[in-house]
Amino acid sequence: MIAALFDRLRQGDRNALARLVSQAARGEHLGEMQAALLPSPSGRGAGGEGNCARVVAFTGSGGVGKSTLIGKLIPLVREQNLKVAVLACDPQSPLTGGALLGDRFRMGNSTDDGVFIRSLAAVSGHGGLAEHLDVIIRLLETFGFDVIFLETVGSGQGDVDVRKYSDVVALLVQPESGDDVQWEKAGILECADVVIVHKSDLPGADQTAAQVRAALDLSMAHAAPVLRVSTKANTGHAELWQTIQVLPARRQQPTAARLLFQAALDSLGQRFDAVERTRDAELEHLADAWRRGESSTPDAINSLLRILTQRI
Amino acid sequence: MDQPQRIVLAKVGLDGHDRGIKVVARALRDAGMHVIYAGLWQTPEAVVRTVADEDADWLGLSLLSGAHMTLVPRVMELLKQAGLADTGVLVGGIIPEADMPKLHDLGVAKIFGPGTSLDDIVSFVQKPRERTP
Repeated sequence: MIAALFDRLRQGDRNALARLVSQAARGEHLGEMQAALLPSPSGRGAGGEGNCARVVAFTGSGGVGKSTLIGKLIPLVREQNLKVAVLACDPQSPLTGGALLGDRFRMGNSTDDGVFIRSLAAVSGHGGLAEHLDVIIRLLETFGFDVIFLETVGSGQGDVDVRKYSDVVALLVQPESGDDVQWEKAGILECADVVIVHKSDLPGADQTAAQVRAALDLSMAHAAPVLRVSTKANTGHAELWQTIQVLPARRQQPTAARLLFQAALDSLGQRFDAVERTRDAELEHLADAWRRGESSTPDAINSLLRILTQRI
Repeated sequence: MDQPQRIVLAKVGLDGHDRGIKVVARALRDAGMHVIYAGLWQTPEAVVRTVADEDADWLGLSLLSGAHMTLVPRVMELLKQAGLADTGVLVGGIIPEADMPKLHDLGVAKIFGPGTSLDDIVSFVQKPRERTP
């Protein structure tokens, strides 16, 4: 079934893309997907699959205007004839598993084939991001998107995982969001490649921009640009998009060998799970012996791996 | 574990009354569903594109404007064209009884009128659905 979906994906069928993104987000068939996303052996060297998108993450607290800003940037990307996908994360309830995914309605209601917007639920404790984003991003790249906007859950000072998945991290702040010591704290501000003072039509925007700049200037390594953008007054978007485009791409592209290894690792996990579900007598015996204290934990793990390796 | 179902909730056409759809969105969220709120003033084309990109199991349309016999058939036709005929379509709002059979004939799974309890809506969408792979 995965193979058929991948055939359709490569033919540009967006329903297949949407279905594969769902499966990846749920952690289904990850091994098979990793394998299908591997570059062909005849392929393009060590750089992974041909198309490589620029992944731009937008982070900042809830209500700062991440979705709205993305909605304003989409037309600028399309003007350059680049195809853009958006992954918009919103929190999933730790109590019910439910989620209200309410970002996309702020991003316009385009039916443009060059725009794909997908809402994803993020469990808490995951850096404000949905799971398996690496696979989802590769699916979008394989489909042919040039730019991927990644919107985090409205997030706080320490949600820095976003750096792993993106080439550029754009941090949104708004006027009146704390005194100057707020900007001295370690965490997300250190990870930002560009800082956007959004809602800069509001009073206090100049002061906030100055405080952020002052804090960034104190650090040795970092000179992230600080830009003022107002969606209400419709200013700063073009400059922001230009800035994002010329920032260096930070994301480490995995080598083909690394991708192969990752695919094997995921497949191994799935196969071990399958063996475990067969309630194998030898495995049960081993677990019982360990529970009774007859074997040490490292010994039990080694024996377990030996048995599993024989079974798969 | 059962995976949460995904439902797109949208209002099509020129109808700005969104209290009802927001209440339904909250009830479905609290029932453990993933609710994609697509908002007001959507065109049928944009709604169908949202259903496609979001890989939704269900589409809930709220109509209080009286334009349901124009907009719902259009949405159903576009879903079919987009290869999404297996989406479960729900309609909520003010739908005269005389129009209900026509909407059901078009493939609408269920119509929820004024006074429907949230429990009825939740239990209807929690029934497992078969979708084409």
